[in-house]
Amino acid sequence: MNQNLEISPSPHISKRHSTASVMLDVIIGLLPAIIAAGLFFRARAAIVIGVCVLSCVVSEWLCNVIRKKPNSLGDFSAVVTGIILAFSVPPLLPWWACVIGSAFAIIIGKMVFGGLGANIFNPAMVGRCFLVACFGMLMATWTVPADVRLGDVQIIAAKTQATPLAMSKEAIKAKGTEEKNAALVNKLFKNMFIGSVGGCLGETSSLALLLGGAYMLIRRTISWIIPVAVLLGAFVFASLGWLINPDVYIQPWIHLTGGGLLIGAFFIATDPVTAPLTKRGMWIFGLGIGGLTMLIRMVGEYPEGVMFAVLLMNSATPLIDRFTKRVPVGGVK
Amino acid sequence: MSQHIGAPAEPIVAKKDSVSVGQEIGSAQGFVSAPVHSPVNGIVKDIALQSHPVFGRAAAIIIAVDSEDKPQVVTADKYGNDFNPQQYSAEQICQAIRKAGIVGMGGAGFPTSVKLKANPDSPIETIIINGCECEPFITCDYRMMLEWTQQIMAGALLAGRALDCGNIYIAIEDNKPAAAEAFRLAIEKTPAAAGTKVALAETKYPQGGERQLIQAVTGIDVPVGGIPPMVGVLVANVATTAAIADAVVLNAPLIYRVVTVAGGGIEKCGNFYVPIGTPVQELIDFCGGLKSDAQKVLLGGPMMGFAIGDLSVPITKTCGAITVLTEKEIGNAKSTGRQTPCIRCGRCLDVCPINLNPTRIAHAAEHQMFDVAESYHMTACIECGCCSYVCPANIEISGHIKTGKIMVARQKKRMP
Repeated sequence: MNQNLEISPSPHISKRHSTASVMLDVIIGLLPAIIAAGLFFRARAAIVIGVCVLSCVVSEWLCNVIRKKPNSLGDFSAVVTGIILAFSVPPLLPWWACVIGSAFAIIIGKMVFGGLGANIFNPAMVGRCFLVACFGMLMATWTVPADVRLGDVQIIAAKTQATPLAMSKEAIKAKGTEEKNAALVNKLFKNMFIGSVGGCLGETSSLALLLGGAYMLIRRTISWIIPVAVLLGAFVFASLGWLINPDVYIQPWIHLTGGGLLIGAFFIATDPVTAPLTKRGMWIFGLGIGGLTMLIRMVGEYPEGVMFAVLLMNSATPLIDRFTKRVPVGGVK
Repeated sequence: MSQHIGAPAEPIVAKKDSVSVGQEIGSAQGFVSAPVHSPVNGIVKDIALQSHPVFGRAAAIIIAVDSEDKPQVVTADKYGNDFNPQQYSAEQICQAIRKAGIVGMGGAGFPTSVKLKANPDSPIETIIINGCECEPFITCDYRMMLEWTQQIMAGALLAGRALDCGNIYIAIEDNKPAAAEAFRLAIEKTPAAAGTKVALAETKYPQGGERQLIQAVTGIDVPVGGIPPMVGVLVANVATTAAIADAVVLNAPLIYRVVTVAGGGIEKCGNFYVPIGTPVQELIDFCGGLKSDAQKVLLGGPMMGFAIGDLSVPITKTCGAITVLTEKEIGNAKSTGRQTPCIRCGRCLDVCPINLNPTRIAHAAEHQMFDVAESYHMTACIECGCCSYVCPANIEISGHIKTGKIMVARQKKRMP
């Protein structure tokens, strides 16, 4: 008689991947932006990314030890959270603020809900939100990468300087007067595409983010719907403003390359845990993020709106899922 | 005695009786049932509960084979292209099929005579002969389509005659051009097959599922909770169709079937013409036995097959394959706690052929919240297993849903 035949429900074969391999794909997708950050911000990039990733990993490990749960670091989700948080803070943020933000992101943003898969809000955005609330000044102090010319003015290395979106906000507040004009920002398009402008660590280079996003789309790590919906929603709103008054509102494609919109569209909104499951839900979710981001950027107090837009739509995800139930093939009796 | 859906057959022989090839040994009980015949000459050793792949244990007749009296098995195509179904009446065809004990040999096991009984209230407008065995490893239907093309044609025409339906499709996956060509030739040469067409279907899993195939061939969606005759379609597997021909023309009962033996865990793979009732162990021994790294023996293919621990279970009318998987082939699909939390990635939603929300249903079913599971249409699940296959967190989504379906069925019976 034969030894140890295994019994289990079908299917008996499986695709060879895991949560860890999915997260690794995300990390690979983030690599171009990591390299870009290193090129533009040098040592600061290494320090901020390193501290954030390390603190996230340690926080998750501590939580598991305290809760006497099995170690969950193997899924690499803490590493992804760390990188995305690092990408969404200014390069000059002190190391201790990075630690606080990371710990808050992992502990309050993820582990109190029960760990990966159970959290309602994107952990990295929760951490960033906490930092904005606690250290508002630090979170709005920007450097411009070394040796960059802004218009005709030579900028000294690592000089603090407003981001393109902050300049856009000023233009809106000054109602597009001579010296504070949307046209000033529009000149920066090339710099913003390459990444040589002021801004958060990982969000300045549109090129790098698009490369990483393309990788994840090709690998089917993320669904194409959410990025397309986010960018479409943002583009429509930004176009409206631009068509109404091009002196006050910057061009829509500048909005797309500016701030956290691309990293938000490809890496933050696509966090599967906090996004809807259904395709229709993804459209609503993505359009909502794009629209809300533009609403905040153009009407609200903050120059940047991706974080709040993502968090707001995260909170709507369960509702969206409920209202977009799928209909089985053949309909329902 | 339980090789079909419906009431089990009742043994009509006694211990120590001598039986011969083709003799009826279990009689059908009621309309939805099928008789069972002896595939061998021998003596009834016992009538008792035996291991059964699906029901755990079921009544069985154990026959000791009289080895000196081997039956003559003909495996060549016995039919020519001059076959004319008009010489049989619909009534004759149905009766012959019922007498022969034919059931759906693709796996469902629904008595074929019931399916072929013409119902004036819902006439069948399309017959699809299912040659899409979409599971990996299995090739028994493919071999039959190549070698018994005319026999399958004859069976298909008889089914059409029984239901007065000339619109017959032979559905073949597009990775089997040789089979499609064989049927095209057969249709050309057979004058009676004027209304028959070959329908090429995309090669994908689960293309051979009844609903998927109807969708692919006719574009019609079978309603949830409904059956194909409601949309005027009948689907029959090629093995069933071949058996129909034998039953009607040769009066031969269903006592043999083609079984694929495959997988990395067996010495010799192949397709075998096996007497129904043969213990799995004997078939495996005939194929050189299990290799040392064999981990799972499946009745059926790797996606929907049943894993068995007891190799004394018999090959039934519905069993088209024995798949022996090694640890390497099983890979991630192990039952030993490699599961991680659901990250709601939505891959199971993408692959679900019924457009369900598998992760939600599985989560609800796992926690006994059957009303929630039902609100996500749990019972519409066809149990193809794609969700479990694709899950990166290794969750047994399909397993949870299947358990949930059984629980709900039981609850409903208790509370009518």
